[in-house]
Amino acid sequence: MDVTFKIRRQNPDVPGQEKPYWQEFELADVDPTDRVLEMLHRIKWEQDGSLSLRRSCAHGVCGSDAMRINGVNRLACKILIRDLGERVQVEPILGLPVVKDLIVDMEPFFDHYKRVMPYFVNNDPLPEDGRERLQTQADRERFDDSTKCILCACCTTSCPSFWANGQYVGPAAIVGAHRFIFDSRDQAGQERLNTLSEPNGVWRCRTIFNCTPACPRDIEVTKAIGEVKLAISKGANVSFL
Amino acid sequence: MTSLALTVRETLRYRGAIGQWSWVLHRLTGVGVVLFLALHVIDTSWAVFYPDLYVKAIAAYQSPLFTIGEFGLVFAVVYHAFNGIRIAIFDWKPELWRHQAQAAVAVLVLTLLVLAPVFLGMLSHVIDFYFTEAAIAGDKMLDVVVFSIIEQLPFIAGFVGVLAAAIVLAAVYSLISGAGPASAPKASPVERFWWSFMRVSGILILPLVFGHLALMHVVQGVFDITAAQTVAGTMASNGSIGVVPSAVEFVYHRWSYAAGGVFFWRVYDLFLLVLVTLHGFNGLRYVLTDYTSFSPFARRTAVALCTVTAAVLLAVGAAALFVPLEKDIIDEAMAATAEIYELRGEELPAALEAFLDQDL
Repeated sequence: MDVTFKIRRQNPDVPGQEKPYWQEFELADVDPTDRVLEMLHRIKWEQDGSLSLRRSCAHGVCGSDAMRINGVNRLACKILIRDLGERVQVEPILGLPVVKDLIVDMEPFFDHYKRVMPYFVNNDPLPEDGRERLQTQADRERFDDSTKCILCACCTTSCPSFWANGQYVGPAAIVGAHRFIFDSRDQAGQERLNTLSEPNGVWRCRTIFNCTPACPRDIEVTKAIGEVKLAISKGANVSFL
Repeated sequence: MTSLALTVRETLRYRGAIGQWSWVLHRLTGVGVVLFLALHVIDTSWAVFYPDLYVKAIAAYQSPLFTIGEFGLVFAVVYHAFNGIRIAIFDWKPELWRHQAQAAVAVLVLTLLVLAPVFLGMLSHVIDFYFTEAAIAGDKMLDVVVFSIIEQLPFIAGFVGVLAAAIVLAAVYSLISGAGPASAPKASPVERFWWSFMRVSGILILPLVFGHLALMHVVQGVFDITAAQTVAGTMASNGSIGVVPSAVEFVYHRWSYAAGGVFFWRVYDLFLLVLVTLHGFNGLRYVLTDYTSFSPFARRTAVALCTVTAAVLLAVGAAALFVPLEKDIIDEAMAATAEIYELRGEELPAALEAFLDQDL
């Protein structure tokens, strides 16, 4: 099948291309089971070598190639042409500064992520046998869903609250915090809840539900945010100093 | 402004599911209702403080433009109420999230089911007014509206004053605390409180607001405020004190109605005033601060604007509810009622004419 790609492009270094513009590319012999990433490669390799995009593993694991495809945030390496049709529109994810074409600056996104301390904190001495800290299967299950995050930013950049206000920590950082807040072995949950109870923390979430379907890993993002809200709202011992 | 423009444009472009559109409608209906609330609290207080202005305000409300607005208002309140319950449910029970899209559809269906009989009821008042009571020529009606609005210019100036006060407050605060986002944001129990308050107050005001809408827009519409009828929720008849029925007397009867020694409607309206004002203006603060994050000064102005307006409305509304009612206000309303008759080109009722002559 023939597919028309309409791509949002921008190159701050080339006069005349500083402002975003749309460019169309025609592709022949496209297989319905081809992925968008392969087609972007074909455009770059066969038609226009200046087209810039980010990708690493190309198999939906690393989270490098989040893009807005036909109006919805997706990983280019996971979405098939047959699910999109003969016209495919690709643009960078929204809310982060565009570096070039489909590449955005992820630093502000990671800054929010770092603020929720997305690492395991436990200052107790190691168990006697020097091996892992044990927890029950039920305790492990509690945060299983939020361990799946690959930090692609599909959720955060699908959120109208984040578009309006880049200081909002965003869904991904909250999922990252959820991973440790609900880990029975972790000891810094309270600090994370304090960070997230700031005005630009979880309270900027308006329960819009754009993030959940945007997640390429099927994480129940809005549910995770809701659980963090409840943990703050019910946690009488949250310190506000 | 860029933040708002970007969000509006991209919300239209992003193919979010029904949850996104529910959020858009929730914001639009919320802002619409809160703007009406400001107008409504101020003008209802006039029944006590400026009876002649109240008569004219109600006359303006009886014009076609406001009738269309009234239908929009009732839609906005009903949708906002049902969707608010949906939001509260998924906030309290996040594990139910898979049903949120169905719930959003259910909210729309429920809104339409409730609105169908409500709109029919409201429409019957409109039809009654135009076909059996007073068929008023369009140009005359415009006169009434323009006249009423001009009379109320000082209060529009009042709103400009509130805005100016908000800007000054924000500027003073900025001077004291330093202009930029000086200190790192801190964990605050304030936002946690408001988050819970919005949900609890939303559910508490639901029966109050629906009761109020049912009585004031369906059982008796805005056209019945000046009709010789028993005032809904009381035993008294409009026109039993004044020589002709008036909007002021309508309010007088409601706020004079006591059951078991308690001024029932005053207590009811007080709960309504406090809960709706706090809910509405905190909601407005959410909306305004979402789109002013680019400038600390703009954000502070937004917060001050919401705070000052809410404080003014609470003060004015509570003052009107607590002040002892004097029968003089009904007499004062008579002159304004006569003016409305003249503007509409109708003949004065004989009783009103006699009353005014004797007054002179």
